[in-house]
Amino acid sequence: MISDNAKKQIDHWIEKYPQGKQSSAVMEALKIVQAENDNQLTHDSIQAVADYLNMPGIAAAEVATFYENYNHKPVGKHIIRFCHNISCMLNGADDLIAHLETKLGVKTGEVTKDGLISVKKVECLGACVGAPMFQINDKYYENLTADKIDDIVDGLQ
Amino acid sequence: MNEVCFKNLDKDQCWSLETYEASGGYSTWRKILKGEYTPDQIINELKASGLRGRGGAGFPTGLKWSFMPRNAQGQKYIVCNSDEGEPGTCKDRDILRFNPHAVIEGMAIGSFVMNATVGYNYIRGEFIEPFNRFEGALKEAYSAGLLGKNINDTDVSFDLHAHLGAGAYICGEETALLESIEGKKGQPRFKPPFPANVGLFGRPTTINNTESFASVPDIMINGGQWFADLGVENSGGTKLFSVSGHVNNPANFEVSMGMPFSELLELAGGMRNGAKLKAVIPGGSSTPVLTAEAAMGMTMDYDGIDKAGSMLGAGSVIVMDDSTCMVEALTRLAHFYYDESCGQCTPCREGTGWLYRVLKRIMDGKGKADDIELLLGVQEKIMGNTICALGDAAAMPVESFLRNFREEFEYYIEHKKSMVKG
Amino acid sequence: MADIKIEIDGQIVNAKAGETLIAITDREGISVPRFCYHKKLSTSASCRMCLVDIEGVPKPQTSCSTPVSDGMKIHTQNEKAKASQKAVMEFLLINHPLDCPICDQGGECELQDVAVEYGSDVSRFSEGKRVVAASDIGPLIQTDMTRCIHCTRCVRFGSEIAGMMEMGGTGRGEDLKIEPFLAEGITSELSGNMIDVCPVGALTSKPFRYELRSWQMVSNESIARHDLTGSNVYAQTYKGQVKRIVSGDNEAVNETWISDRDRFSYEGLTHENRLLTPQIKVEGQWKEVEWNVALDFAIKGLSNTVLNNRKAHKLGGLASSTTTTEELYLMQKLLREIGCENLDHRLNVNNLDEAIHLESNLKLQALEQVDHALIIGANLRLEQPMINHRLRKAQLSGANITALNVKEFDYNYALNHVSVAPNEIATILAGVLKIVLEKKSIELPEYLSAISPSSSSVELAKDLLNAERPVILLGEHIINNKQAASIAQLIAEIAKQVGANTLNLSISANALGAQHVNFVPNSVGMNVNEMFKAEMRAFLLLDVYPEYDFHHANSAIEALSKEDVFVVSLNSFNNDLVAQYSDVLLPMAAMYETSGSQININHDIQSFTAMVKAPDEAKPAWKVLKVLADLLELPGFHYENSTQILEEFEHQPAHEHSQETAIDLSQQSTAIETVWMHNCYHSDALLRHAKSLSMSTLGQVNSASMNANTAKELALSDGDEYLGVPVDITETVADLCVFVNSNQATNIRSMS
Ligand SMILES: Cc1cc2nc3c(=O)[nH]c(=O)nc-3n(C[C@H](O)[C@H](O)[C@H](O)COP(=O)(O)O)c2cc1C
Ligand code: SF4
Ligand code: SF4
Ligand code: FES
Ligand code: FES
Repeated sequence: MISDNAKKQIDHWIEKYPQGKQSSAVMEALKIVQAENDNQLTHDSIQAVADYLNMPGIAAAEVATFYENYNHKPVGKHIIRFCHNISCMLNGADDLIAHLETKLGVKTGEVTKDGLISVKKVECLGACVGAPMFQINDKYYENLTADKIDDIVDGLQ
Repeated sequence: MNEVCFKNLDKDQCWSLETYEASGGYSTWRKILKGEYTPDQIINELKASGLRGRGGAGFPTGLKWSFMPRNAQGQKYIVCNSDEGEPGTCKDRDILRFNPHAVIEGMAIGSFVMNATVGYNYIRGEFIEPFNRFEGALKEAYSAGLLGKNINDTDVSFDLHAHLGAGAYICGEETALLESIEGKKGQPRFKPPFPANVGLFGRPTTINNTESFASVPDIMINGGQWFADLGVENSGGTKLFSVSGHVNNPANFEVSMGMPFSELLELAGGMRNGAKLKAVIPGGSSTPVLTAEAAMGMTMDYDGIDKAGSMLGAGSVIVMDDSTCMVEALTRLAHFYYDESCGQCTPCREGTGWLYRVLKRIMDGKGKADDIELLLGVQEKIMGNTICALGDAAAMPVESFLRNFREEFEYYIEHKKSMVKG
Repeated sequence: MADIKIEIDGQIVNAKAGETLIAITDREGISVPRFCYHKKLSTSASCRMCLVDIEGVPKPQTSCSTPVSDGMKIHTQNEKAKASQKAVMEFLLINHPLDCPICDQGGECELQDVAVEYGSDVSRFSEGKRVVAASDIGPLIQTDMTRCIHCTRCVRFGSEIAGMMEMGGTGRGEDLKIEPFLAEGITSELSGNMIDVCPVGALTSKPFRYELRSWQMVSNESIARHDLTGSNVYAQTYKGQVKRIVSGDNEAVNETWISDRDRFSYEGLTHENRLLTPQIKVEGQWKEVEWNVALDFAIKGLSNTVLNNRKAHKLGGLASSTTTTEELYLMQKLLREIGCENLDHRLNVNNLDEAIHLESNLKLQALEQVDHALIIGANLRLEQPMINHRLRKAQLSGANITALNVKEFDYNYALNHVSVAPNEIATILAGVLKIVLEKKSIELPEYLSAISPSSSSVELAKDLLNAERPVILLGEHIINNKQAASIAQLIAEIAKQVGANTLNLSISANALGAQHVNFVPNSVGMNVNEMFKAEMRAFLLLDVYPEYDFHHANSAIEALSKEDVFVVSLNSFNNDLVAQYSDVLLPMAAMYETSGSQININHDIQSFTAMVKAPDEAKPAWKVLKVLADLLELPGFHYENSTQILEEFEHQPAHEHSQETAIDLSQQSTAIETVWMHNCYHSDALLRHAKSLSMSTLGQVNSASMNANTAKELALSDGDEYLGVPVDITETVADLCVFVNSNQATNIRSMS
């Protein structure tokens, strides 16, 4: 369930915490395992992480369902997380989200048919002076316009 | 402008150790390693500086550090709060990206003062670029022999690690943050006990905001009085203001405390398209909204904003022009708190959803005549009754939007459409 | 903590600095509403119901989390406090169904109680109530999570008391959902306590579901007798039937928790196999008869076989130790009166020459205080759940615990597990004793001369010597160890030398009661195993079920079934086997149907009254035994109630059986030994008839565990059966031994 490579990455995180506090690494461990499994967590992968960190399955499930950055349904290869909070809203985020939805032919929360892209509306990403903005995977894109969005999205593969 | 956290902003590779050291960086830390400082001296400088916590609550940093039982047996921790998630706030991201060593040195100084030999910087999960910057800086500091156990063969040890969040605004609340580092859901703890007594892994812990820590090295270089003099009474120093919304040049500005709001607005290029200022949220989404009039007469410091009827908070200035529908704006904020409530305590779990649903109903044209009273009643029932301040944060905007812009809500309920947008 | 004075609602109250406010108000009888607070669980301060006003503090504070300080002035009822409490109540009700009349918790719901007082206009919420999909968490607990108020008591119970976090709160905000993660639902042996701690109708008893409202039932204190704790319970009855068992409160015994075994065993009372009428066997045919006919028949049968011809030594009396002390006392009195010394309750012991003698000299509350415990041969979690709970508490406060077991069980606290085959245990303990004696420069007895302590012995000795308050616990897995007596003796010696207490957990239920009334043969009598080898003519059996109860089930059944042997069975259940060998069946009252007492591990005689009348013709066994004695014209049976019996034996000195067994370590078997334990939900007759327990995950366990090497030696593989039990190959078992945990009848006949 957890690859050797993933275990190595998880071990790196475990080292940051005091002896016996390896469950501190659960948030990263879930991300690492998620990344290896189509960007998605399953009941079994959560249990596997819990077992690896020697914590109850339900405790790992609590974490996996509390935080936003875990997916429990199929998502695209690229996840566009579009901020729709106040500063971005004031700068036209809603129209741009609509634009993106039309362009991709999906609603927020859905995945494109080819499985390439999914779109999520999210709360403030802490880049409000660059509003409107979104995040694709690890990267922030700020001061978005419809044209800019087209360019960025067209570049995804 | 840009005298403390941002003083190297215009330099090449401003985040590098080299740049940092060239402007006096790590000089205090090196002095500490040479035994030239006592913890009390540092606390006194901090107290003189008037530095108040930049995470929102504005608690005097020197005082907070003095509360730590530094001589207590066993491990103690120092934790930096880089969870930055309050709508309108985006300053810590830039500190991490552009001046990570100031955060490291500030934490190191704190670790010495409080005898906390291990530190964590909790960085919000989405901040991958800032996280990488910070990790890079950590690596530099470790290789330069500035961090680790028994640094330079002294009895001073400090190990610092970055911890990444995974998407939850509530982890910015300091005890939720500690739970999160412990690998749990970010549910705030009840207080007392306070983290200074029972904190991370049950050990005494001090938590400060990124900007608070990043301000410490320069205070130590130039002296507490210098910092205090940069600002005004009760609000020492400079402050990073994230100015966003309907302005021409939205950005983070490090300016002296006490600057008139009107000047800050000018710095941000003035109102976009010359539109009329309608409202300002001066300290992040949790702080009460102000009318244009109140805002224009206000100075940007703790007392000044307080007098105007709001709070400095995290210094996140959200500017709204007269095209803004206040019903829509409040609904968006209400959705945020509804979405981000951790759910453990009854008033917040049940109340934030109630507030949002009533507002949504009004937006959907199904508002009822007594909805305004209902909203006021619900926010009042949340206020003060919850474990952490998210409850209050969810309540406050509702009260202030309704107080300052009540007619817009009445109009929306009656006409089933926005007074502003039609 | 310093003594201080505080003021609550204008009244001066004494307190200790740092105490939580709610502990004080509870003590003073000042009512503060609460949902998440539970005195035995950690504080969560999350429901916010207990908010009160403290002078000088701007925000209202939660009573359950606020430590008091001198001079504090608290208002629990003023406008500010009431407003907060009302606000919280209103928030709780907006998403809670208001259909109390159809809720199973109706009438005993903490939310309902408080709502009556505080809930005002809940009608203002018109946004639609939250509905939570039903989830099945097993046969014992019914969930209705739409009613959950997220107090997290059940979650905290799991992680803090049950020691296995099974319930959790997933999602966040409004989506926070209390649920288990595992598909099999909740599997803790203490799970039913979640029902008791749940303040609302979200978690209720599944077997009890929809039956009744609490106010329709009569609730009385009783004692559950499935293990050595004798947990205090409330039996709730309606129209002559036990409908539900809930936990009682007794700090010295079970605090406020009970095991699932104690909670759900009552279901067996109404099982269709209950023996309901007296029956006699005439020419091979069973006939239901009146009591006097059956008793006459019994007397006549006994007279013909043993009484009329001075052959009392050909009569055997056997009793299950799940019976009451009064029953055991009367039965031995009756037998001894007629000159019969053949009596025994140690039915499951293979070799009574190797019987265990070890005293229990530590009370449960003190067990919590030990700093080291050595467990030998026990899976305490399932065998003695409440004793395990105390040990768990000791461990959590820092005690170091070691278990010497054939299998690494699912322990619910951290302990050092040492894997041992049964035939290694005596040697290891001998090594420990040798080290201890050498350390104290005490001359070594002869039997230790050839012992060279292993590294395990060294470790065990070190821990025992370092401890200040150690305890050694001997468990049920040892009873049929070939060196059982030596093991017990070694433990006693070690304990003496290191100043340890001991607990003899190799017995269960009311075996201490049986010991107290000397329900064992004296020097001229035969023990159970001897009886089956002798030419007996008659037996008097008290609630005995051979296929489960006897170690030598086969020879027992054979002996009982002989043509010329007359068997009188006082039984609560009937079955084909019982019917096959018995000549008279006398239906007896089961648990909760009779008055009596049990002697628990604290050596407390815990009395109880009958909660309900036994069904149909069944009668309390003490009454039946008394009438039998009367019919036999024996003196001294003029009892009108069971208390008079108790008065007769309670002050008799307990019978000590401390005959020193010579320790003999010379014969160490090399054969593959099997430890057979009944599934914890099949350990007595009532339990075996309790359907929901049988259906639960723990009740389903039926496996013969062995490691791969042992399996190879036995030429077995997965899918095979060993002694009729499915083979489970696991490296958690010591080499060259088998641990059977079975919900089937004992099948050891082929073993010995
Ligand atoms: C809901 C909530 C969110 C918060 N978010 C943040 C945050 O993102 N960053 C931060 O520094 N402080 C945040 N705080 C404040 C912290 O709890 C804490 O007061 C602060 O980190 C202390 O540091 P300071 O004294 O340096 O300001 C938040 C508080 C609440 C109640
Ligand atoms: S106020 Fe809200 S976010 Fe804070 S603890 Fe309570 S439920 Fe959680
Ligand atoms: S199920 Fe009951 S005990 Fe558990 S959280 Fe919900 S209300 Fe509380
Ligand atoms: S509001 Fe969009 S990034 Fe802050
Ligand atoms: S009982 Fe105090 S907050 Fe729940």
